[in-house]
Amino acid sequence: MPTILQYAYMQRALLVGFLLALLVACLGTVMVHKRLSLIGDALSHSSLAGVALGLLLGFNPIIGAIAACVVAAFCIEGIRKKLGNHSELAVAIVMSTGIGLAGVMSGFVKSAADFNSFLFGSIVAISEMETYMVIVLALVVLLAFFLLYKELFYISFDEQAAAISGVPVGVVNAIFTILTAVTISIAARTVGALIVSSLMVVPVAAAMTIARSYKTTILWAAVISITSTIGGLVLSFYCGLKPGGTIVLIAVAWFLILYLLKWLRGRLTSGNRSADGAKRASEESKGA
Amino acid sequence: MNSKNMDNRSGVGQARFLTWILVASMLLGTMGLLSGCRKSGFGKDAEGKVKVVASIYPMYDFVKRIGGDLVAVNMMVPAGTEPHAWEPSTRDMMDLEEADLVVYNGAGMETWMADILGTVQNKDLVKLEASKDVPLLRVDHEADDHDAGHEDHDHGEFDPHVWLSPSNAKLEMRAIADALIAIDPDHTETYEQNYQTAAAECDKLMDEYRMALAPYEGKYIVVAHEAYGYLCHEFNLNQIGIEGVSADQEPDAARMREIIDMVGEYDIHCIFFEELVDPKVAETIAGETGCQTAALSPLDGLTQADIDNGRDYFTVMRDNLLALQKAFA
Repeated sequence: MPTILQYAYMQRALLVGFLLALLVACLGTVMVHKRLSLIGDALSHSSLAGVALGLLLGFNPIIGAIAACVVAAFCIEGIRKKLGNHSELAVAIVMSTGIGLAGVMSGFVKSAADFNSFLFGSIVAISEMETYMVIVLALVVLLAFFLLYKELFYISFDEQAAAISGVPVGVVNAIFTILTAVTISIAARTVGALIVSSLMVVPVAAAMTIARSYKTTILWAAVISITSTIGGLVLSFYCGLKPGGTIVLIAVAWFLILYLLKWLRGRLTSGNRSADGAKRASEESKGA
Repeated sequence: MNSKNMDNRSGVGQARFLTWILVASMLLGTMGLLSGCRKSGFGKDAEGKVKVVASIYPMYDFVKRIGGDLVAVNMMVPAGTEPHAWEPSTRDMMDLEEADLVVYNGAGMETWMADILGTVQNKDLVKLEASKDVPLLRVDHEADDHDAGHEDHDHGEFDPHVWLSPSNAKLEMRAIADALIAIDPDHTETYEQNYQTAAAECDKLMDEYRMALAPYEGKYIVVAHEAYGYLCHEFNLNQIGIEGVSADQEPDAARMREIIDMVGEYDIHCIFFEELVDPKVAETIAGETGCQTAALSPLDGLTQADIDNGRDYFTVMRDNLLALQKAFA
């Protein structure tokens, strides 16, 4: 039986997978609390427009992708504030714009071809250069995340209260927006858009079913995200499953299991209560 | 109080008026854009010629070769586009309504063709599936090697890339010549002559391939996607595809491992990639095994630059042959 670490491409996949899973879980927790859970989808598709523009004007499409991602992220921030209760629409609007622009511009790109394949990478085909890029990115983002932890915590829950209590909301949001955009564009190129956009949301949703605080949500999300990635890679290596889909489905399985556990625990504790309590609970459930 | 109300009302009226103007001008603008962009698929110089729509690059090349100046050819999948991921536009539909003949490869290559031909209203359009006389290879057929075969293809049961063997290209040219002669019998002689020239070139190419590849019979090539079934079948090579017959799949980690192991087992020195697909996966495998990488074109789409530089079916096939010889040497 071949061992997984015997192959350099698997070593890179595991290392990069681990780092990105950790990063994306941290960013995802903030994004989910800001009600921007689909930002991963929106930004990775907007970067398509950047790739097309890069190919059209003749600059490096990866730089185009990063730039488009940053611009799109700031547009989401800007539109979000104007929409009040419907802030999640900002994500949808920016995503539509990105896909639309990419579609129109692709009609003018004559030289290079299937630019989807240039934009969306595969976790089992990561170059050395990309490995270094992800390591640097991880260091920067994690450092920023720890330094700004308290500020982000405030902003995630109540931006106005945070501003009143003296948090420089504008600056923190801007830094965080740039970090998110750069992470998503690099991660989409390295491991594929599916993994990034799913790991931003699903592990956080799973963590929220059991965690009682912001901090434990982040920790659980990181654990779930990392185990899904490593587990998916191992399964892909030994069973020949597609890595991206497997990783995402393991994360979804985590969510279902944790949700079921929570539900069972809820049933058990209500069963253990006095008969009176149980009666009241059943009445409540009937009422609902 | 009263005047203030009046002001307000006229303000609302003004805003509404402005909105209408905006909407109307957007509509007009769109219409203007459309009329500006709308070009007849076949230009003025197509008048008096046989109007042909060719699906993909090899068909375009073959039709031009046989038809010469007597035909006007439009290619559906534009230069430099990978045809597996392509979708027809309204322009293509307009072309088909005007055309006399549509030539497509068939055998499962243009999965979108059946839908399109179902909606075209042009009753006089002659539809030619160029591969109709080619003995097709089943997708499983190339899996002579026990683990080189890959189960997941969504192309259907046949390998559509028939033109990668020159003898099949000749059969497709024959079918095209027959179709053109049926539509435009006045120029039978020219079409026949052009066919003879092209067919002789195909025979010559066959000989070159046979001579050059004879010493390497039974060898293995690693390619981006399993498009080279006919080439391998004709010249007794074996292909190991990183991906299945269709080009748009992500490899899994186990497949990568299999290929890396086979590279050592079969003494392979070169991993081939396609110009129209990101070479990342090929480079990863090459890096892992110390192989080189080289381009091998399945010819399903040339870039515009290639076409402008005068590259065509025969020059690309000869480049492929050189790349193969280099890989084996």
